[in-house]
Parts: sequence; C-alpha cells; structure tokens
Amino acid sequence: MTSLKRTTVGDPHSTNISSKVFVRSTKSGKVQKIVRELYLRQDIPCSSTLCTLCLSNAPADANGIALEDLRCLCSIPALPFILSDRPAGTKAFPNGHYLVPDTNALLSGMDLFEQTSAFYDVIILQTVLEELRNRSIPLYNRLVGLTKSEEKRFYVFFNDFRLETYVVRDPGETINDRNDRAVRRAVKWYGEHLQQAMKAAGRTKRCPSIVMLSDDKENLQKARKARIEACSLHDYVSGLADADLLLDMINELREGQDARASHGALLYPEYFTKSKMITGVKAGTLHQGLFNVSPYNYLEGSIRVPAFERALVVLGRENMNRAVQGDAVVVEVLPKDQWKAPSSKIIEEEALNRNENADADEQEAVVTEQEQRALVEEAKKTQGKSIERYPQPTARVVGIVKRNWRQYVGHVDTTSVSLSTSEGRRQQTVFLITMDKRIPKIRVRTRQARELLGKRVLVTIDSWDRDSRYPIGHFVRSLGELETKEAETEALLLEHDVQYRPFPKAVLDCLPKEGHDWKVPVNKSELSWKDRRDLRDLLVCSIDPPGCQDIDDALHARLLPNGNVEVGVHIADVTHFVKPDNAMDSEASGRGTTVYLVDKRIDMLPMLLGTDLCSLKPYVERFAFSAIWEMTPDADVVDVIFTKSVIRSREAFSYDQAQRRIDDMSQKDQLTVSMRTLLMLSKKLRKKRMDAGALNLASPEVKVQIENEASDPVDVEVKQQLDTNSLVEEFMLLANISVAGKIYNAFPQTAMLRRHSAPPASNFQELQNQLKVRRGLELRTDSSRALADSLDTCVDPKEPFFNTLVRIMATRCMMSAEYFCSGTQTFSEYRHYGLASEIYTHFTSPIRRYADIVAHRQLAAAINYEQLDSSLHSKGKLEDVCKNINARHRNAQMAARASIEYYVGQALKGRIVEEEGYVMKVFSNGFTVFVPRFGIESLVRLGDLAVPEPEATFDGENYVLKTAGSRTETIVLFEKVVVKISDQKEESTGKRKVRLELVRSGSSL
Amino acid sequence: MPLDTSSYSLALLRLDGRRWNELRRIHAQISTQAAADGSSYLEMGNTKVICTIAGPAEVRRTGGGGSDAEIKVEIDIAGFSGVERKKRTKTDKRVAEMRYTIANAFSSSLLTHLYPRSTIQITLHILSQDGSLLAACLNAATLALIDAGIPMTDYIVACTAGSTSSYSSNDESADPLLDLNSSEEMELPFLTVGTLGAGEKVSVLVMETRAQIGRLEGMLAVGVDGCKQVREILDQVVRRHGKKLVNSIVE
Repeated sequence: MTSLKRTTVGDPHSTNISSKVFVRSTKSGKVQKIVRELYLRQDIPCSSTLCTLCLSNAPADANGIALEDLRCLCSIPALPFILSDRPAGTKAFPNGHYLVPDTNALLSGMDLFEQTSAFYDVIILQTVLEELRNRSIPLYNRLVGLTKSEEKRFYVFFNDFRLETYVVRDPGETINDRNDRAVRRAVKWYGEHLQQAMKAAGRTKRCPSIVMLSDDKENLQKARKARIEACSLHDYVSGLADADLLLDMINELREGQDARASHGALLYPEYFTKSKMITGVKAGTLHQGLFNVSPYNYLEGSIRVPAFERALVVLGRENMNRAVQGDAVVVEVLPKDQWKAPSSKIIEEEALNRNENADADEQEAVVTEQEQRALVEEAKKTQGKSIERYPQPTARVVGIVKRNWRQYVGHVDTTSVSLSTSEGRRQQTVFLITMDKRIPKIRVRTRQARELLGKRVLVTIDSWDRDSRYPIGHFVRSLGELETKEAETEALLLEHDVQYRPFPKAVLDCLPKEGHDWKVPVNKSELSWKDRRDLRDLLVCSIDPPGCQDIDDALHARLLPNGNVEVGVHIADVTHFVKPDNAMDSEASGRGTTVYLVDKRIDMLPMLLGTDLCSLKPYVERFAFSAIWEMTPDADVVDVIFTKSVIRSREAFSYDQAQRRIDDMSQKDQLTVSMRTLLMLSKKLRKKRMDAGALNLASPEVKVQIENEASDPVDVEVKQQLDTNSLVEEFMLLANISVAGKIYNAFPQTAMLRRHSAPPASNFQELQNQLKVRRGLELRTDSSRALADSLDTCVDPKEPFFNTLVRIMATRCMMSAEYFCSGTQTFSEYRHYGLASEIYTHFTSPIRRYADIVAHRQLAAAINYEQLDSSLHSKGKLEDVCKNINARHRNAQMAARASIEYYVGQALKGRIVEEEGYVMKVFSNGFTVFVPRFGIESLVRLGDLAVPEPEATFDGENYVLKTAGSRTETIVLFEKVVVKISDQKEESTGKRKVRLELVRSGSSL
Repeated sequence: MPLDTSSYSLALLRLDGRRWNELRRIHAQISTQAAADGSSYLEMGNTKVICTIAGPAEVRRTGGGGSDAEIKVEIDIAGFSGVERKKRTKTDKRVAEMRYTIANAFSSSLLTHLYPRSTIQITLHILSQDGSLLAACLNAATLALIDAGIPMTDYIVACTAGSTSSYSSNDESADPLLDLNSSEEMELPFLTVGTLGAGEKVSVLVMETRAQIGRLEGMLAVGVDGCKQVREILDQVVRRHGKKLVNSIVE
C-alpha cells in the first residue's frame, strides 16, 4: 500500500504554505469550520518611496504582460508607491515617521485619521483592516475611502501574506493577542526593512521611525519591551500642534472606561445574549424591528413587526433600554396588564429635564422624577378611559441587533456649560442637543466648551453603557454660528445625508472636452447622429417654473393630414453624456437626485451638463430623447414611437408666460396655436385620468421669495396652480406611462419602475372617524376611485378651505411611492395608486433624477438604439440602485421641506402677524394648528394659553378640548381659529421656528 | 481570508495570497491503489481526489459493445468533502454532467479503437473540495489512465480561469484569474478549460456562470496557459514514477 501522505522534503512550496482554520456560524445558526490555504510570499512591497529593493519586484496586473518590455525599461509598478520619502516629523520623532495604528486606535480615533492637519503616511495592516471590518462596517468603509485618497498616503500592507510578517496563532492564544503580535511583528519588520533599504541605497539621511499607535496598555508594554516605537493615541496627539482640537475627537468611552466601571450604578437592564435573541425571534417569543421614536413624545417608541398588525409601543426610558431612533432592535411583549395606550400628550425632553448636570457624578436615575410624573398621569388617564383608546400591545427592548448611529448635528446645551473663567480650557462634560428631537441628548467631553457655545456642531455617538442615562459621544467639527445661513444649510444637508461636496476631479474628467462650446455636430455622418431623427424643424417649446435653468422637457404638437394630432414630448438626452459605470455615473447614482433648497440647488450632475449641454435651452440645438404620439382629437392614443432626436426649442416659457400667451386671443402664430392644442388635449387626458380614479391630493406648498442670494427672505406666498402647470404634468405622465410599458415589455425582469401601493384601510381609520364624528361625512377608501369621489364630497359650504384640509390629511395617510425593479414584484403590485395607472416609471427628468437615467438607458436598449449595459441586466444591482434612490428621494424631500421651514422662520423674524388657521390634531394638553397662508403647522400647548396653565378636559372621542380656569376656550378639530404668529428660537433644537399663540378659537369666532 | 474578493485591487493579491496568474500547489502520486488497474491521487490546493481505473475489460452484456471501448465514469463525492456535510443523490444533475464531460473528453484522447467490445471504468473519489473540482478530476484521471497503461494521444490537463470582476460590474481593470478556490468560485465568473497536451488544442470547456464577452478571451488565454503549467507538473510526476519503476526492475 502506498502512503498518500505528502513528504515535506523536496516540496519547494513547503515553507511558504500555511493554512488558516477558523470556525464561523452562518445566519441560520449552523457552525462551519473553514480551512483556507495561505500562500506566503516575499514580493509584497513596503510601498515606501525610500525603498528600491521592493520596487524591483513589485507586482503587476494582467495587463502587465502586454507591457512587459516597456515595464522593464522604466519599471513602473502597477500600484504606485505611496509612502513619502520625507514624512512629517513631530517633537518625539524628528526624523519623520510612518504611523501604524492598531484596530482599537482606529476604532476610537477614526475622525482623527481623516484630519487634514496631521496623520499622513499611515500603514494600515491587513490584520487591522480585517479586524476593523468585523467590528464596524462603517468605519471600515471610511478607512478604505482614506486608502484611496491620494493626498493622505494611506497604504494597506498585506502582512499576513508576507513570509516575514506572518504570525501563526499559538495554541491557547486568543485571536486578539495573536493579532496584536502580528501588528508588532509587522512594525518591527518595517523598521528593519527600511534601515536595510536605506543602507542599500547608500543614503546618509536618518531613517524615519515606524510608530505603532495603540490604546491597549498591554500591547504598548510588549511593544516597548521589543524596542518598537509605540505610543497611545492620546499621547501621540498631545504632541501635535493643534492638540486641543484633535484631542476632542478621540472616542471618549475608551479613556473613561476604567474610571466609569467603578461607579457601578447600572441604570439599564442588560441586553440578552445574541443567541438568546436569535432563538427567541425564531421561536416567535421575541420580535425584531426598526425602532422609531414618536416625534411628539420622546419617551414613546414604536416598532413594526410582522407578527402584529399595528406597531408595538415602547413606553418610557427603561423599556426603551438605550435604543436610539433607527436602531434594529429585539423586543419582548410585556404581559397584558402592563399594556398601555399610546400617548395623547406631547412630551418634550427639553421641557422636562432642563437642569440636569452633565457631569452627573451624583446618583443618576434612569427616569427622572419629572418624567415619572408625566408617565403616571398618562397611565391614570388611560385606565378608566374609553373604548377607542384601548391599551395596545406594549413591549420592552431586550437587545440591539444593529446600531444605526450616524453623525448628528446639534448644539451645546448652554446650561450644561460651566462658564467660570478659572476653569479655562479644562475638560468638561456638556450635553449636546440634536436637531432631530427623536435623538436623546448626547454627553460629550470637551476642552472647547466655551468656543462651541452658540455654534452648530457635528457629533457622533460612541456608546451607551448601562450606567449612563444618556449616550456618550464625541465632537467631530463645528459648522459655524447658529442661525447663519451657511451653518444652517450645511446642518440641514448633513442631517438629511445629502452629498453636497463639489464634484471630484474624476467626475469632471468625464465631461465633454469642448465644455460650454459643445454643439450638435453639423455633419450628419458623425457617430452621434447615428439613429437620431432630425426634428429641428418642429415648433418645440418648453414650459417650466420661472428662472428654471435645468430644462428637462419640451413639447410640440401639430395637426396631421388625417385629422389626428401629433404630440411630442422631448426629454434631455442625458445618457448621451453620462455613460454607464464611469465616475460621473456612479456619482450621480450615489446622489440619486438633485436637491432643491430655497436658496440653493445641490446638483446630481455637474453644472455644465445640467444647466447647459443637456438642458433644452431655447434657440440652440440639443440632443433629445423623444416620445411621439399620434392622437385623435379626443386624446386617444393611436400610436407611439420613441426615438433619439435633435431638436431646437423655439421658446422657454414660464408657466405664467405660457398661460398669458394662450389666453391672449390676438396671438395667432403657429407656436401659440400648437400650445392651445396641447392644452385642449391635456384637459381631456386629465378628465380620463380622473375618471379612472386618479387622486387629486394636496400638500401645503408655499414659496419663499428672496430678492437675491445674500439677502434675507422677503415674503412667503402660496404656490399657484395654473392650467399650464397641469398641461405639462399631463404629458409628462403620459410619457412616463408609455415608457414604463415599453421597457417592461423589453425587460420584464429588470425594468426600472415606480409604484405606489394602496394604503391599508387602517391608515384611514382615524381620519374616517374624525370626519364622521365632527362632520357626519363618510370617507370611502375601498378603491382609489371611491376615495377620489368621497374626497370630492367632503366640502363645507361655509369653509372653502375645508376640502383642501381634508385632502392634506388624506395625503398623510398614503403610502409613499417607490422605485422598484420589475422582477421583484408581481404585476398586480406594479400599480400606481395615486395616478390610477397599471404601470408607471420616471422618464422625464433625467437631469435631476437618477431613476430617469436608468429608464433612458433601458428605453434606448428597447428600441435597439444601443446595447443595454450589463449592470442593468442584474436584478441585484438594480435593487441596490432602487434602494438608494428611494432613500435619497425621501431625504431630498425632507431637506427641501426643512429648508422652507427655516426660511419661513427667517421671513417672519421680528414680525408678528395674526392669521387664520385650522385645528389639525387635538391632544390632551395641546393641539396643532395649520396656517395655510404660510404652509406652517405648529403646536399650541395648554401652557401657552395662559398663566397659570388652564385646566382642561379632553374628550378624545369627539376630538374636543375644553379649557377652564384661567382661560376658557373650546378647541374642536377642523375648526377655524385665529392665531398670532411670531418667531422664536426653539431651545431644544436651536432652530428658529414660528410660534403660534391662540387669539380666538372657533367658539368665540 | 475574510477580506472579500473586492479587495483584490488594493494590492493585486487574492484571498489566499496568490497573484492572478499563479496556480495553487499541485501534488500528485501514481499507483496508489495496488488492487486497481491504474490509480492516482491528486491535490490541487485543498481539492483532493483519488482516481482508480478498472479495465479495459470485456463487456458482460450479451451482444453488447461496439468497435470502440466504452468509457464509463463514476464519481463519488464523500459526504465530508465539503464545508457542510451533504448527501448527494445518484441523480444529481451536476455530477451527471461532470461524468459526461469527463467521459467525452477521454473518448477523444484515448485510443479506444484498440479495445473493441470492452469498457474502461474511471472511478473518482472526491475527498475534499476547494474549487476547480472538474479540473482536478480530469487531471487525476489522466494520471490514473497512464498508470493503467491505456494508450493515449496526449495528456488531458485542465484548470479553471476566472475574472476578478463579477458580470454586472463594469470594472475596466478586471484581471483574469487562474485556478480558483471555492470562495472565489462562489463569487466570480469562471470557466474550466482542458487542453490536449501542451498545445492550444482545447478539448474541454465548461462555463456555468455569466461573464462579459470582452473578458472571455483573457480568461481563456490564462486558462490555456495554466494548462501548460499543469501538464509540466503532471509530466514530472509521471517521469519520476517511471524512473522509479525502471529502477526497481533493473535492481
């Protein structure tokens, strides 16, 4: 019998093959043992430009073969050497130094590494990178981003693949100890290697030091024993020039951990172990979901889980157990006797816990006395109360699956800062109040508390331990003074995760070289003319809001000899300039949408394209993507074709100008006539759509007038709807629907579509009930048609605005529309509820929406204009794109709204106005009023009515709040009230907000 | 290594520390089972295969068999060979296709007309799987057939080739890869190529994943090049074995 055992002698590979064995558990709970080979090598370069040894055997990629001869001549490695030959020095390392951080240094100081004032020439070890990835994906992504930036000079050294630096885990050694040892080995090797390289090159200059950064005391000690330069992050930063500023950025918890542990007072219950949570969720005894905090009451959270139809309620700080808005949590349903009704009361953190001490060395309780009182009152009320507000399943958080912490914008709580001069620059703990009311106060230790007062600042949460009532975070950077336009705009963009940095060079390189001089080629044999129809002789015009620069769409209409009408919608041909998968495309895909703020536009595509080359400006020739219908005079579509084209717009109208031109019967030129045809057809299209059950919803839209960029807003006006608005809208809808059908037929699995699902009946319950109780009206919601019809009946002859009010409230009950990839849903789910269309997509605004760019590419492929890019064949990729643009779209809307809110506040600054408003919501201790004139909605608390706070009786079944005592008023839902509007700086968020005061209520009107 | 394949561009290193054009370690032995007519044991990295040959033997069936020898392939995948213990059924489509591919490949390289009305039975036992399974089977079978002394025109040698970018990513700098291990096979497009001898005569080409057409040529070129290297290694094994055999006879 022959032995199959491999002999180690004579095998050239035996010294450099190792294997890595590890055990992992899969999602389904199985445990797998993985064995992987490791090929150790000696050609992994150190990447220091000082070293010539490594340069000679630097690796090449596959293209290197073709270039081999050339490569030998000038020896350009495929990966350029990164680390500088003259690295910066500090006091401790006068010869310059390369930094090698270990994992915990990165975990606690990532913000530092992103600084531009220090932290250059950093070696990131593979061991560290992997460990970091296992610990925190966001940090890992940030680090990878850093390694890609050229100026920071971060180099990833694959130490586990290099023979000299590979470390075998000893039996009994923990993986952390092994990794620390690997880091030390690599640091040592680097030092020796560089010295050797310097000697080989015969240089006399002194060799730069290799400095290990670690926060692990044991690791530092061992390093010193092995004569490796090492220091803690804190010590290192202290030696830098702007130490004060940088020190604040170190993640606090690590430093304070030892000190805190001795306190011992644990305020929150411990989380369940991971396995307990997994088994619990599997068995159905625990539930997993996203944690949402009520915007009205910071002590009330809710979680939607599949097992319950309505959201589970989480009440009180203890039950919320350190969960923060957006975290993925696991909850346990409490026994039935502890179920509570969701609050009908407004509770704001600021009002209750105003005077806490941030340093909090004295005993902390989870629930402050004031909070306790608020909760007890609440509980009393729910006990003996009506059937309507029955207690709901209530739960408590038992564990966190994933934290979704991001960076938060806020301001330092003035009261928590000690201002005595003697304390100077001493480090102190302050509270940071975030703009988002759903986020708790964050405890931050800083040396610059006094400078930060009155500034907008960016912070991150580091941890939330059981012994601390509030999460602990650290300060990232200051955005500027509160209430300055720059700081507030940046804050707003950060809060809504809008990417607003200028386009990087790689993106700008993708633009056409001709710049603004780019023109449609005269010669029709040019490649870009291929398969393009010449539509320059058509009378095309565009209609947009005044001052619009990025003109996406233009229209034309002309009579055909057979009595039918030819209607064309021409859309900017953005995909001619934005090719799939280049830098510009990925940037646009990341941004997802252009964001419109009151005074600013954050573009999805560079200006050159958005406002010039793609924009269908008048009097110049432009490439377009056209949809051309033949329609009967009754607006029935006979035929449609899609084609790439060249057009020349004759005029760019604003809605207003177009309306006047159409109305002016003395104008009889061709263009005007065709516009009248379009208007006529659009009215018929609209009628058809309405008959099919499309909804006419309303949202409070106002416009802020600004005289120029620098000045403060002048006035606020409600947006007007003209016939021409709906003219454009109708044809855009038609184009979108036609295109959706076309691309769905061509790519049934991967078409980019948009859907709007029917809202569940439960969403309307509250509104239906309110209408029935207050007005005796019935709202039918069984179909969009029924809803549209019953909305039409919701009128109050005395109150013309009542209908709009109901529509606004109905809009809020709707689901939001979303992009999706056709293969992920069944056809019946494609429906667009609001538009009453079987299928829908976005095609008409490729300059400002990425979804349209995808639709353009798919349509171009569907008409055989070009090959479909492979990335659009993949369902998975498209799903990722959809997920991103859905989120971006939502964020953009919220940012726009927040911007308007800010400017309305600024416009009202110092003014006091009395306006009519309507009661939209009634709570037991306040109500919200909507003021149509300014499109604002705000709370009026009982406490604001009079001093002392009047007593109130709340009739939740009839939505009536009666006050007595210091002031007698009756607040009834839907009723008109008169309010005094003034502005006020909101203490809790630092925003300037309007403040409403009740002047007269319905009863006394 | 837990870093995923996307980290390739950072240092042009693969998950296991190899460069794009490097084979894994190949270890092979001939005549491992004395009882079989021919046998071999082959490791490509952590993929381990035992191959035994029975035949050429007379067909038992009455009136069966044609003018050429029939090649029958049996593949037995051990339950412990993968990461997870899995029982394969006899009718597993994937295994059936591998059997067919192997039989087909060897029926063109073996001089089967020398053995009319007989069968050559190739039995493959897979002890451990870590990617490039079909290639390992083909290589092991070649060695075992040589051991069995069945005349052939040349070695059939095989290896896999892939691409560093998945089908849907339009990465300009996608590199072709040689000899994929199982974690790479899971994520990346790849093909198995087998050549007859060291030339560029491709006799086996199997691809089950989607790859962009522009990358195919590079993948194929790297694969064929890899086959050349594999042939060199197998040839050494055969010659070493031959020398030992001759020595033992002379002594």
